[in-house]
Amino acid sequence: MTYRIVLETCFNCGLCRRVCPTEAIKYYTTGSRTHIIDEEWCVDCDLCAKICPVACIASHPAVQPAAAQLELARAKARGFAKKQRADLQAVDARIEAFVATTPAGDERRIDD
Amino acid sequence: MAALRDYLDDHFTVRDPEYRPSTEIDDAEKESLKERIGGVENYEIPTLRRMVAQHPENAEFRKALVSGIVSAEYAGIDAFGTRVGLWEDYDLPADLLMTMIRQEWDEVRHAQLGTQLLESYGGEFGEYPDTLGGANREQDAEGRPVRGPIATDPTVSLSVVNVQIEGGALELFAGVSKLGAKIDDDLMEFVYDYNWADEVVHVQIGDYFVNKIVEETPEEERKALMAQAQVELFTSAQRQISPAAEVMAFMQEEAERARTVLADE
Repeated sequence: MTYRIVLETCFNCGLCRRVCPTEAIKYYTTGSRTHIIDEEWCVDCDLCAKICPVACIASHPAVQPAAAQLELARAKARGFAKKQRADLQAVDARIEAFVATTPAGDERRIDD
Repeated sequence: MAALRDYLDDHFTVRDPEYRPSTEIDDAEKESLKERIGGVENYEIPTLRRMVAQHPENAEFRKALVSGIVSAEYAGIDAFGTRVGLWEDYDLPADLLMTMIRQEWDEVRHAQLGTQLLESYGGEFGEYPDTLGGANREQDAEGRPVRGPIATDPTVSLSVVNVQIEGGALELFAGVSKLGAKIDDDLMEFVYDYNWADEVVHVQIGDYFVNKIVEETPEEERKALMAQAQVELFTSAQRQISPAAEVMAFMQEEAERARTVLADE
């Protein structure tokens, strides 16, 4: 299964491109200033369809990438997710290190 | 007939409180940020969103997040307002200037909503610095403002501000609205849901008019894409993340194309 963008509705906000874990969505190199999904790299994660503000991305169950290619794409997606998790963990560690120094019940805290 | 343009050529933007980009704050203010939110490195929107999500009881985190966003709205008022004057001399569709005026008032509303949300937390606009650079202060030998293509060139401006930056703001507003819902902050939820709807229109405006301007002009289309790609690279560098491989490929293609053109000349 893969996804396709309805170009008549798409207004190039780029959100789908930014969340795609395999960078399967192209814009700069399509030669037509439009967002296009490279079906070979689609892993059917649905992130692009979920984030699209005008719901112009739909699945196409009939299109099925070859198994070997799909595995390559999935490996790339796993790498992307791993990197994102590591980045967030680093931010979280920084936040927690600071919060630990903040006295409990301090006047800046609300809803306590 | 370019009265507004003439005025802008001689005047810098002013704001009260003055623009104070977070990249230019003094040591005392850095120390204050360290005490309140853990340091200037945390004064960036994605980190602040995470801080509020994990510690919703901390009012200071909410104040910092909303301050960071609303400071960009104030910069937006400047941006769209000045374009109305700066583009007077271009042969542009009349409705494009009307949309700039519409966006100007949208930004005013966003700034007002954000300021009142900030005040609901006991905060005040100006107590935190600006997350964007703020108004341009570059000047020529005679002390007059120098404005770059992002302000003066409609193709670059629409591509960078409306499509790229406001496209990114769609995720920001949707995310902060959801964050408001998650932490039972109704005001935060509704303010950013409202802003999100405006932002969809802004991106649509940008995309529509970039397409109109670049129609049958491949050079202008490349300029639009190049300006957008440069901002994408800059943002990646700022956030210390690798840019998308496609952006790098595009830049290489453009460099190769420029080399060929130069060689032909």
